Amino acid sequence: MFVNQIKRVPPIAVPIILAVIVVFLPQLGLSLPNQRQVLLIGFLTLLVSGLNLSLGYAGELALGQPAIYATGAYVAGYMGVHGETDIFLQILAAIGAALFVGLLTGIPGLRLGNWSLAMTSFFLVLLIPDIVQIFQNQTGGAIGLAGIMPPTAFGTQLTNYGYYLVCVLSVIVWLAFMRNLVTSRHGIALRVLRQSPVLASSLGISVFRTKVTAYALGAVPAGVAGALFANLDHYIAPTEFDFALAVTILAASILGGATSVYGAIIGAVIMQLGPLESTSFQNDALIFYGLLLIVGGVLLANGLTGIATNAWSRWVLKRGPVSRSVHISPDFQFPPMSGASLEVHSISKSFGGNKALRDVSMTAERGKVTALIGPNGSGKTTLLNMICGFYKTDAGSITIDGHQIDGRRPSEIARQGLARTFQMPMIPAGITVSDVVLSGRYTPERLSIGSAVLRLPKYWRVHRHDRERIDDILEIVGLTDLKDEEAVKLSLGTRRLLEIARALVSEPRVILLDESASGLDEDEVARLALLISRIRDAGGSVILVEHNFRLVLSLADTIHVLAQGEIIASGAPAEIEINPRVLKEYLGVKEKDIEEAAAIIEADTTGQQR
Amino acid sequence: MSDTAANLGMEPIVDPPAPLLEVKNLATGYGDIRAVWDVSLSVHAGKLTAVLGRNGAGKTTTLRAIAGLNKVSAGSINYQGKDISGLQPHRRVTNGIAFVQDGKRVFHRLTVQDNLFLGGYTLGIGRRKMPKEVARIFEIFPVLGERAKVVAGQMSGGQQQMLAIGQALMAKPALLMLDEPSGGLAPSIVGEVMETVATLKTAGIGVLLVEQQVEAAIDVADHVVVLDIGRVILDSPASEIVDLDVLKEAYFGSATLEGEEPGPGGDAS
Amino acid sequence: MTLIWSALTIGAVYALVATGYNIVFTASGAFNFAHASLMMLGVFIAYWGLNVAKLPVIVVFLIAGGIVFIVGALEERVAIRPVRNPEALLVTTVGVATLIDGATQRIWGPSPLEVPFFGSNQVVTIFGGRVLPDELWILGFTIVVVGVLMLLSRRTMVGLAMLAIAENREAAQLRGINVRRIAWGAFAFSGLLAGLAGPIIGPQTFASATLASSIALYGFVALAIGGFGSLPGGLIGGFVVGLAQEYAARYWGSTYSDIAVFALLLIVLLLKPNGLFGRINERAV
Repeated sequence: MFVNQIKRVPPIAVPIILAVIVVFLPQLGLSLPNQRQVLLIGFLTLLVSGLNLSLGYAGELALGQPAIYATGAYVAGYMGVHGETDIFLQILAAIGAALFVGLLTGIPGLRLGNWSLAMTSFFLVLLIPDIVQIFQNQTGGAIGLAGIMPPTAFGTQLTNYGYYLVCVLSVIVWLAFMRNLVTSRHGIALRVLRQSPVLASSLGISVFRTKVTAYALGAVPAGVAGALFANLDHYIAPTEFDFALAVTILAASILGGATSVYGAIIGAVIMQLGPLESTSFQNDALIFYGLLLIVGGVLLANGLTGIATNAWSRWVLKRGPVSRSVHISPDFQFPPMSGASLEVHSISKSFGGNKALRDVSMTAERGKVTALIGPNGSGKTTLLNMICGFYKTDAGSITIDGHQIDGRRPSEIARQGLARTFQMPMIPAGITVSDVVLSGRYTPERLSIGSAVLRLPKYWRVHRHDRERIDDILEIVGLTDLKDEEAVKLSLGTRRLLEIARALVSEPRVILLDESASGLDEDEVARLALLISRIRDAGGSVILVEHNFRLVLSLADTIHVLAQGEIIASGAPAEIEINPRVLKEYLGVKEKDIEEAAAIIEADTTGQQR
Repeated sequence: MSDTAANLGMEPIVDPPAPLLEVKNLATGYGDIRAVWDVSLSVHAGKLTAVLGRNGAGKTTTLRAIAGLNKVSAGSINYQGKDISGLQPHRRVTNGIAFVQDGKRVFHRLTVQDNLFLGGYTLGIGRRKMPKEVARIFEIFPVLGERAKVVAGQMSGGQQQMLAIGQALMAKPALLMLDEPSGGLAPSIVGEVMETVATLKTAGIGVLLVEQQVEAAIDVADHVVVLDIGRVILDSPASEIVDLDVLKEAYFGSATLEGEEPGPGGDAS
Repeated sequence: MTLIWSALTIGAVYALVATGYNIVFTASGAFNFAHASLMMLGVFIAYWGLNVAKLPVIVVFLIAGGIVFIVGALEERVAIRPVRNPEALLVTTVGVATLIDGATQRIWGPSPLEVPFFGSNQVVTIFGGRVLPDELWILGFTIVVVGVLMLLSRRTMVGLAMLAIAENREAAQLRGINVRRIAWGAFAFSGLLAGLAGPIIGPQTFASATLASSIALYGFVALAIGGFGSLPGGLIGGFVVGLAQEYAARYWGSTYSDIAVFALLLIVLLLKPNGLFGRINERAV
């Protein structure tokens, strides 16, 4: 019975209660030294949280937090030494400086792989003592910055409790912002980016802007922590910002769970209090951290919070394995779609000496299903990638309703109304079916990060639209029962349908399906065919890149056959299936049997219902 | 393509009674996805068993399980009379199983020669002694001999496919598995490839051939197995298959088209 | 010229780190952040062997090589093989580095310790520059190591196998290559080299756990300049970094040498991400 009551408590209650308790701890008699520990935990929480944002969510190994922490601390410290003691001003200045440094150090990550970003950001930590030394007039050099005047707020000097309150509230506010951010569509965008930049581009998410945002946002809490830290002892020692700190932050992130908002607190608590347990532990701290990182890297995919939430959902909420089914309601009203036509004009493309495409032209008319088929090496995938913007044309152009799209970036093309699915479904781990569909909502309706973080009215409006559209689309595709399940764990056929749902929700003008039928069994293919025909009937334009011949014959209005980089046949299914060149070039029928084969097929066609 | 048998260093063997490879009630898949539910087939030395079926039927998955790349959840794989389900992939190669994957997966950054050297890795001879072994392969595929120092990635699809088969032959396999060797090749080249495959039989190699090109496969097969959704739906000697009926079945069932190209398109399951 | 000798010497140390990275990276696709810590462990063992236990030099070489060989092998089994994704690899290798640094600090304390050179300490003059015999040993050792490895990678099947693994692990397995054993072997071998280097580089670097992280990062710069997976590249990259460091220190002061190397890193990564001789695109990892 107690368990039943627990179930009804919303998860957000736990952090709120914790926050209230922490705020009042000094009033409840917590000693000054212990208050200091709480503050240190708070600072570490901020640092870890910033890392969680860039590492856990965006997947970027940006590990330069100590450098940003130092920046914030020295900026605030400098202000404090020179008379500007308003703590809020110091925090603002620190944030500004942190953003600058965060962006600067994130730049390599925009162009490079993860190792390079990790090493570059680690290197920054090495530079801290040098930069402090160079600016020693401002920073006090190796002996540290002393003489930071006590902080004030609104003109009056802060008491100990006042300072404590500012620190604790800063952590609370940041965690609230972070929670708002990651539960919004931007959190999904970060996860999409982490999964694959290709996927992000195809959803209209600009990889560059999202990465830059991740670096910037990840830097903010570190800057805030720095400003607060400067006022803790009214003194800053450069030795505080060393490599060991970088390792501590990483360890805390892993321990608490890099994708958990509140895991940062848990990680920070353990890291901060751990060394206190025994004096000899101080010497062994590094050994402990090292072991923790090894074990954590191997085992704890989601950290302690991951284990906790798994246990919670399994034992308390009693969530069992998925056994729900997918069924498309036959009479659900499909909203009308405004399909556009996509024209490929005389496209050619070579890679090195290899001519992949030779003067290829084809049109996918609006409101029709156009199939593009061809064997291995025919250039099918190359053409598909060119339409989506991943390759540039050597000659020719590609247009949607006459507007040129070739030469533009994939995310721009996606925003022009081209939606696609992938042969191996690209679905980020750890998010639900609804969230996957949500990631498709980037193109139709935009939402600024500010609105999401501050939960402004616009956020709620867009959120409502999102919910409505997602529910509609899930209903259409038949996945309503599965909307809260973890998407990656579903079967291949279901994930394919989910990708189509994601494509549909973006209100596309052209949908490009990349071998959606491959790997599906008969029932799944039938379901897929039904969905595609309903999209067509509602006015949508569908391009089907396929090799399931039967599916193509039954669904397509026009078929274009690609072989060895050229279109060898275009026309209605009935023409294509008896086209001798098609039969020969890639159904592999020998010359002598072609006539016979064509005759059989024709005879069989007239006798069969399609 | 003359004297293949001699070049392969093997003597034609009279058909032994026991199968070289015997797969019984195999169930396997990738991670969570179960693609093969119950597949049984066998290959005899010097004979070719063709595995046909629509896309997603489980053909590649079956081959991968025999090669050791996929875990076996049920059933057995017996090679030369012994159960090899627990053997790691590289050990299976040492035992004489060679797998030519679909999609011409040679080492594109290395030369033809280096690729072939790697094919002979299990021969246990040093790099210096390799050219002699490689010469056999050049006899079978003169085209490769002319391009010994060419980087594999710069050759045409057909040449890469020959290189892939040559690589496998370097290891002097007893069982050769081929996954859609005709993939994306011009029909004339397909003919050449299939002829080579047929001659391998005379050298005593057992061949397991997965193909989309139904006709070409049946022409060289001694035995035909058709899969659908992870199970066997047809299992018969090739001679008992009447051409036209199988053709019909193929067009409205198995005559699907392969699509396997590099780029964000990924690969087929 | 004396400046050049010391630049080349320190550059050789970085080249050794880069070589350790290269061997392991080519064979297993993993970047072993802990390699510099392995080298530092070798230095500590050299300190103990030469300064504390006063053992004969040969014995010290053997012990250092042997112990770090084992540690390298252990690292592969415990921290690399069970790991699924690349981000986690960074975490575990940083973990190993931290563990080793923590252990050495625990055993020998945090202050840098002097490692005596087993040969003469008489300064010699070559090409007009003063150089210590130990420095020549470091240079010689590094060049020999890189040379031998280049020979091995080109002349042996194992070397070819490593290239294959780097390109397509599964295809390599299907050719009969025991991918796991080669990855393990690469780690163990890199440990051996790191241990053997201990008595040689020790006198110059001193035994200092805190130095490991900066050597690890400088070694990465050498790797980036030379190109991931290129042995000669790592050698040249090391020398470039050494020269940059020493010249920056000479003309601008030691405070600027880190900054100069960092600038060099950024320039290389942004302009020539594959380095001078890069075979393997780091992005693919």
